[in-house]
Amino acid sequence: MTTTLNHPAAAAGKSRTPIIERLNIVTAFALGAISAFVVWRLALQFLPADTEVRLFTREDKITLLSMIAWFVGFMTGIGALIAPFRWVMGKDLSHDENMFLAGKDMGIKRYFRYTTDHKVVGIQYLIITMVIFGIGGILAMLIRANLGTPEGGLIHPQAYNSIVGTHGIIMIVGTIIMVTGPIGNFIMPIMIGARDMAFPRLNALSFWLIVAAAIPLIWAQFIGGISTGWSAYNPLAGQAPLGMNGYIMFICIFALSTMVAGANITTTVVRMRAKGMTWNRTPIFIYGVVASVALALPAFPVFFLSQVMSGMDRALDTSFYNTAGGGSGWLYENLFWIMGHPEVYVILIPAVAALMEMAPVFTRRPLFSFNVAVMGIAGISGLSILVWAHHMYISGWAPLLNAPFMLTTELISIPTGMLFLVLVGTLWRGRLWMTMPTLSIFALLWNFMIGGITGIYLSDVPADAFLHGSMYVTAHFHYTLMGAGLTGALASLVYWFPKMTGRMFDKKLSWISFWMVQVGFNVTFGGMFIVGLQGQPRRVEAYAALFNRGNLITSIGAAVIMSGMLVLLYGVISSWRHGVVAPMNPWHAKTLEWTVANPIPLENFAVLPVVTSDPYGYGKEKK
Amino acid sequence: MTDLMPPTKNKWWKHPDVKKTFIFWLIFTPAIGIFGTQFHVLSMPDPASEVMGGVIGLMRLFTWAASPVAALVFAICATAITSPRHYGDNPPADADHQISNSPRANALWIVISAVMCLFALVVGLIVLQKDGDALHEAGAINVNVTGQQWAWNYDYANGARSEVLYLPVDVPVIFHITSKDVKHSFWVVEMGIKMDANPGYTTEAAVTPNKIGVFNVRCAELCGLLHAYMQNKVHVVSKADYEKWLADRSALEARS
Repeated sequence: MTTTLNHPAAAAGKSRTPIIERLNIVTAFALGAISAFVVWRLALQFLPADTEVRLFTREDKITLLSMIAWFVGFMTGIGALIAPFRWVMGKDLSHDENMFLAGKDMGIKRYFRYTTDHKVVGIQYLIITMVIFGIGGILAMLIRANLGTPEGGLIHPQAYNSIVGTHGIIMIVGTIIMVTGPIGNFIMPIMIGARDMAFPRLNALSFWLIVAAAIPLIWAQFIGGISTGWSAYNPLAGQAPLGMNGYIMFICIFALSTMVAGANITTTVVRMRAKGMTWNRTPIFIYGVVASVALALPAFPVFFLSQVMSGMDRALDTSFYNTAGGGSGWLYENLFWIMGHPEVYVILIPAVAALMEMAPVFTRRPLFSFNVAVMGIAGISGLSILVWAHHMYISGWAPLLNAPFMLTTELISIPTGMLFLVLVGTLWRGRLWMTMPTLSIFALLWNFMIGGITGIYLSDVPADAFLHGSMYVTAHFHYTLMGAGLTGALASLVYWFPKMTGRMFDKKLSWISFWMVQVGFNVTFGGMFIVGLQGQPRRVEAYAALFNRGNLITSIGAAVIMSGMLVLLYGVISSWRHGVVAPMNPWHAKTLEWTVANPIPLENFAVLPVVTSDPYGYGKEKK
Repeated sequence: MTDLMPPTKNKWWKHPDVKKTFIFWLIFTPAIGIFGTQFHVLSMPDPASEVMGGVIGLMRLFTWAASPVAALVFAICATAITSPRHYGDNPPADADHQISNSPRANALWIVISAVMCLFALVVGLIVLQKDGDALHEAGAINVNVTGQQWAWNYDYANGARSEVLYLPVDVPVIFHITSKDVKHSFWVVEMGIKMDANPGYTTEAAVTPNKIGVFNVRCAELCGLLHAYMQNKVHVVSKADYEKWLADRSALEARS
C-alpha cells in the first residue's frame, strides 16, 4: 500500500515520505509478526529447559514472550509510539501532522491508520463490533449444532469447551464495546457539542489495542484453545493447554483499551460539554455512556491484575491460585467477579440509556422523570461494585457473607426499577411513531423484565443453590445482556445510522430483522430456561435424554436469531451503499448531533453551539 | 420540572387510558402468575428433600409477588401500543400530554420496589437460616465427598467407600466436600443442594432426603474435558436397606 499524500508538509519540498505517513495497518501487522517471530526464535534458543515438575512452564514462557513481542511490534507499527517519542525528544507534532493524524482529506485510507478523528474511530469500532458478533454468532451456532442431539459428539470435547469459552469471552467484549464504542465515539462528542474527544490520540489507541488484542485470541485457537469457559477459573486454567496464554494476553490488552477509553470518555464529558449544557440539560444517553466507562475504570484494572497473576502462575511457577503452594482458587474467583459484576452493567447501562434517549423522540413527549433516570443509573453503578460475591454463594468461600451479598444484590432491583419507571412513564400517553427503535423499547421492557425477575430468583441464596451453574443462569444473563443490551444496541445502530453514514437504514429490513431476532431470541432462551430448571448444567457437550425437547427448541430459536442477524447485516451493507440519503435531522430530534450537516465536517462545529434547554422539550411550544 | 398533573379538576383515574391500563393489569396479573408458577413447577424435578420443596415454594412465591409489577409494566406497554399509532417517514404531531415528572408516581414506585425488595430479602433469609441450621443437626450421618476429574467418590464414617451414593431416607446427612484436582461442584439435583468442591479445602452442605428412589448427582462447574459426563446416581433407600448396604460395603473394603 502506498502512503504518499499530498498534504502541505509533504509538498513543501521534502523528498522522503515522513515515517508518520508510512505507518498503517499493514506495517503494524508486519512489524508485529516479525517481532513475534524473532522473539519466539530467540526464546526457543536461549530459554533454559524446565527443571521443575511443571510440564508447560518453558512453553508458556515462550508463548507469552512471543505474544508480548507481537503486541509491542503491532503498536509500534501502527504508529502509537510516534507522538510520545517526539514529545520525549522535545519536538511535539506540528499542526500539519496533527491534521494528518486526524485523517484530513484522506478518504477511505484513514480507516486503516492510527487516525484520531472520533468519527473515524466510531466507524472502526462499529466494524470491529460487527466482526466480533459475526464470529461469536458462528461459534454459538456450532454450540447449538453440537447440542442438537443428547449425545453431542459432533465436535471433540476439547474443541467444544474451547468454542464455549471463546464464544463467551468475545461476546462479552463485543457487548462491552457495542454502544460505547461506535455510538460513544462517533455520536457522543457531537451530542455534547465538542469538536473531538479530550484525548484524540488515546481514542485511536483504545481502538487499535482491541485489534492488537484480537490476534493472541485467534492464536490461542491453534495452540489448544480456551477450554475453561470465559471465566477461566483457576486451577483449571493452570492445567489448560498453551491457548490459555492467548486468553491472558487478550484480556490484558483489552483491559488496557477499556481503561484508556474510560479515562478519555469520562474526561471528555466532564470537561468538554457545550456552553450552557449543565448537568440537568445533558442528554440521558451521555449519563449512560459515562456511567458505563466510569464503572469500567475500577473494574478492569482488577481483571488485568487477575490475568497477570494467572500468567505468572503458569509461566513463572508462582502460586497465587495454587492451593498446594499457599494460594487459593477463591482469590481468582473474587478478582474475576469484582470485575465481572460491574462489567454486566458496563454492558447494560448504555444500551438502556440509548433507548431512554430515543423514547421521547418516538413518543413525541418529554422524557419522564429525568432525575429518576439519573438516580437509577447512579444507583446501579454504585451498587454494582458491591455485589460480586453473589457469583460465589455456593463456592464455600465465605458462607457467612451470603446474606449481606443477597441484600446488596436485591437492592439493585430498586434503581433498576427506576429505569423501568422512566421508560413506561415516557410511553404513557405519548404519540407513538412506529419505527424499529420504538419496537425495541417494548422489546427491552419485555426481555429485561424476564431477565430481571429471573435475576431475583438467582439472587436468593437457597434458590441459587439449585439454579447456580445450570442452563437457567445462561438463559438469565442472555436475557439481560442480549435481550436488553443487544436490543438497545441494534436500536442505536438504526437510530444513529443516518448520522454515521449519511443514509437511512432500510425500514423494511430493520423491521424484518427485529421480529426475527426478538422471536428467535425468546424461543431460544425460553427453551434454555426449561432445561435449566430440569437440571441441565452449563457448558456440557452432552446431556441426558430428559433435556432433549428444551434443547431442540433452543437450537431452532438460535437458527432464527442467526437468520435475523443476517438480514440485519444485509440491511447495514445495502443501506450504507445505496440507502436513501438522510436529511440532517430525520427523526426531528432535539439533541445536538442532529444539528450538524451530513457529511459531518472534520471538527463537527464551525461555531460551538450554546445550549439553552434540555433536549426533551416536545410539545412545549404549543403552550 | 414540576408536577404537571393537569390543572383541571378532572380526576386522573377517570382518564380512558387509566381504565384501559387497569383492565390490562387485571388480566395480566393472574396470567403471569399462573404461567410463571406452572412453568417452574412443570419444569423442575419432583422434590426429594424438604430443601428442594422450599426452593420450589420460594420460586412460586416470588413469581406471584412479581406478577403485579410485571403486569403493570406490560399493561402500560399494551395501552401505549393499542393507542393510535403513527407510521410513516415523518414524525406525528407532538403528544398533547406533557407530564415530564410526577413526584407522587416516583415516590410510590420507589416505595413499592423497596418493600418488594425487603420482602424478597426476609423470605430468603428465613429459608437460608433453616438450611444453615441443618449443618448442626444432631444424629446426622457424615459422608465425605471427593471430586476428581471426572468422577465422584464417597467415603462413609465406617470406612466404606463407594462411587455411587447411598443414603437412608429421612435421616439428615452432612456432606464434607473437597476436590483432588480442579474445582468441581457437587449438585444433588432433586434435593436442591449444591456446593463447590475446592482443592485443598473442605466445604459442607446438609440435606435430609425424604423420598425413596434414584436421583441424580451432576457436576455443575466446568472441570475440563469430560465435565459433561461427571455425573452419577444417588440411591435413597430405607434405613434397613442402608445399614445392610453399608455393612456389605465396608466388609468389601476390609477384604480388599
